[in-house]
Amino acid sequence: FRFKDSLAEDLRRADLVISHAGAGSCLETLEEGKPLIVVTNEKLMNNHQLELAKQLHRDGHVLYCNCSTLVETLQSMDLSTLKPYPPGQPEKFAVFLDKVVGFQ
Amino acid sequence: TGGHTTEILRLLSCLSESYSPRHYIFADSDKMSEAKIRSFEQKRAETFSNSQFTLDRIPRSREVRQSWTSSVVTTLYSLLYSLPLTYRLKPDLILCNGPGTCVPVCISALLLRLLGIKRAIIVYVESICRVETLSLSGKILYYFSDYFIVQWPDLKEKYPKSVYLGRIV
Repeated sequence: FRFKDSLAEDLRRADLVISHAGAGSCLETLEEGKPLIVVTNEKLMNNHQLELAKQLHRDGHVLYCNCSTLVETLQSMDLSTLKPYPPGQPEKFAVFLDKVVGFQ
Repeated sequence: TGGHTTEILRLLSCLSESYSPRHYIFADSDKMSEAKIRSFEQKRAETFSNSQFTLDRIPRSREVRQSWTSSVVTTLYSLLYSLPLTYRLKPDLILCNGPGTCVPVCISALLLRLLGIKRAIIVYVESICRVETLSLSGKILYYFSDYFIVQWPDLKEKYPKSVYLGRIV
């Protein structure tokens, strides 16, 4: 499909997501609790976009491969090894900012 | 722009109503942020009765991977808009998270500070996408912000003056 306004519904119904390394795609998928395989194309992407995907892989939240190894990854994957992604904590930011500004 | 707006709205999600009125500044080329912001503020107004916010656009400071020299020119052009805007708003606190748009706004705030007109606290939160390296805005504002927040421990090590609170978006 071309460009939908939101993939949220498709995401909720999915059992497995295969995505590029864009931060929005990765985080939305992980927050929805879906298993994720990130496919990177090192030639096309600039380095900074890979940083998050690599870190998520290091932390055990996503599987990681490139176009040529995708089939192999799908055949040998064990999704039970993926760890759940704990949500970020904006409350900590609020506490910090209150102190900075002087609201206590 | 997209990801930045989503992140900043998450940062705002736990702030008390003392942080009011909220003035959102974004790039004129940004088509999607306005809708996201309005939706966020609408939900907020359901909980807090006196919720106030404004929206302002300034010319986009820099396109992705734009050359250094032309970026200086386009940023100066954005500054022509951000300076009168910042002067009019006279914010107590500036919260920004990395799009090029934040650079002219922060420069404006620093100028107002130097001229003794208004002293704003500048808080910069680097995007969650930045694990090992800082964005260009981050590299600049690391030196000019009052508080510089990173979301991954690697960056805290590389930039010791930064604040690390873990993942906050």
